[in-house]
Amino acid sequence: MNPTDRPIANPVVVLREEFDDWAVLFNPDTADAVGTNPVGVAVWKRMDGKRCLGEIVSEIRDGFEDVPEAALEEITAFVDKLSESGFVGYELKHSR
Amino acid sequence: MPRQRTAGTEPATFMVMRTPRTVDIEITARCNLRCRYCYFFQNPDVEYRDLPTDEWLAFFDELGALGVMDVILAGGEPFLRDDLRALLEGVVRNRMRFSLLSNGSLIDDGIAAFLSGTGRCDHVQVSVDGSRAEIHDACRGTGSFDGAIRGIRTLQRHRVNVAVRLTIHRHNVDDLENIAHLLLEELGLPGFSTNAAGYLGACRLNAMDVLLNSRERQEAMATLLRLAEKYDGRISANAGPLAEGRMWRRMEEARAQGEPPIPGRGRLTACGCPGKKIAVRADGVIVPCSMLPHIELGRIHRDPLGEVWRHSPEMNRLRGRHAIPLTGFEFCAGCSYIPYCTGNCPGLAYTLTGRVDHPSPDACLRRYLAEGGTIV
Repeated sequence: MNPTDRPIANPVVVLREEFDDWAVLFNPDTADAVGTNPVGVAVWKRMDGKRCLGEIVSEIRDGFEDVPEAALEEITAFVDKLSESGFVGYELKHSR
Repeated sequence: MPRQRTAGTEPATFMVMRTPRTVDIEITARCNLRCRYCYFFQNPDVEYRDLPTDEWLAFFDELGALGVMDVILAGGEPFLRDDLRALLEGVVRNRMRFSLLSNGSLIDDGIAAFLSGTGRCDHVQVSVDGSRAEIHDACRGTGSFDGAIRGIRTLQRHRVNVAVRLTIHRHNVDDLENIAHLLLEELGLPGFSTNAAGYLGACRLNAMDVLLNSRERQEAMATLLRLAEKYDGRISANAGPLAEGRMWRRMEEARAQGEPPIPGRGRLTACGCPGKKIAVRADGVIVPCSMLPHIELGRIHRDPLGEVWRHSPEMNRLRGRHAIPLTGFEFCAGCSYIPYCTGNCPGLAYTLTGRVDHPSPDACLRRYLAEGGTIV
C-alpha cells in the first residue's frame, strides 16, 4: 500500500456503529467481522476510491485531536489488513 | 456487543448494541407437523397468521438499513412458504446472512441448491429426536423421521451446513447414544446441539407425557456428559440436560468450596439475548424473544425497529432483569446456590410462574436435588 493508492471500501461490507463510537465491519459474504475504533470508522467512511491514503490521513489529522506522528503507518497497516481480508479493494489500472 | 460488568456482588450493567445484531423471525405460522412439545403453537397470546411477501421484503430493507448482520427464519416450518426464495433474495440484497430452523421434511434438491448458491446461509437446523422412526416420530408424527434424514442428506449433497438440534424428552432419553452415533458417525455431521422439551406452547398440554422427571433428567445428564467427552467438542448445549449437567457441577463445586460469587451470577442474569437480538412473530408483532411471545413491543411497518430496540420500556425492563438479586425472591430463600445461579430462562419463568422477573423453577438445582436428583 502506497500513500498514493486510492482504497475503495467493499460495498457489500456493513458498518455497524456500536456504543462508544466503536464499530464492527461485517462482510456478509464471508461472515468475517472486524472491530474498529472511531479513527478506523473515519478512515472507512473516506475510502471511496477518490481519496488517496495520504489525503485520508491528512483529513484524519484535521478531524481528530492528538493524532500520533506514526498515523500514516498505522492507518496504512489498518487498510492493508482490511485489504488482505477482502474488506477493501483498489481500482486496477489497465494497460492498453 | 453487550458487556456485563460484574465483580463479586456488584449489580450487572447491561451494555446494549445500537441496533440488534440478529433478528429471529417466525416467517410463517404454518407447519406440516404438530409436534407434541412445540413451543410455537398453542400460545393463547399469539395470532397465527402469515404476512405477505412484500411486507417481509420491506422489513428486510429496514433491517439492512439498521446494519443487522443475520436473521434466523423459523416458524412454523419456513420451507412451507412458496415465496421462500424471494424472501431470501431480500435478505441477501440487504447484506445479511441467514439461518433456517426446519423439520427437514420439505427440503428438496431445488431449494438446497438455491440455499447453497446464495453463499449467505450459515446453516439449516434440522430437528432429529431419535435414531430411528419409532422414537423420532413418537412426538413428531409418522413419517417425520424419514423426512428429516432425507432433508439432511439433501443439504449435505449441496454442501449446505446442517446444524441438528436434538430435543430430549421422555420418549428418547434412552436413545441418546444411538442418536449421537447416527448423527456423528453415520451422517458424518461435525456436531449437534441439544436441549430439552420445556413447559412452553403445546408442551404444556402434553407435559406429563413429554417432560423429563428427575430420574430421567439425571440419566440424560450422565449420558450426555459422557458422550460429550467421547465426541470431544461435537455435542453442545445452551440449555437442557447437558448445559445443566455442566453448570450444576460447577455450582456444586463452588458451594462446597465456599468460593466467592461467580461473576454475573446471583441475579437474574439469564439470558443475554436482549442485548443483541430481538424477534418478530409471524403476524408481524415485535417481541423480545420467541420464548416470550406475549410481550408485544410493537408491529413491523408501524413501529421502527430501531426505536423499539432502543426505547421500548418492556425491552429495557427485560434488560434490567440483570440487576434483580435472587436474594429478593421467596422461591430462593435460604438457597446456598444463589451466588452461583443465573435464575435461568425468563420464558420458562413466565410460563411456570406467570412472572418474567422471577427465577425459572425448571432449572433450579435446589429443587432438582429435593426431588431426588443427584449431580452427576
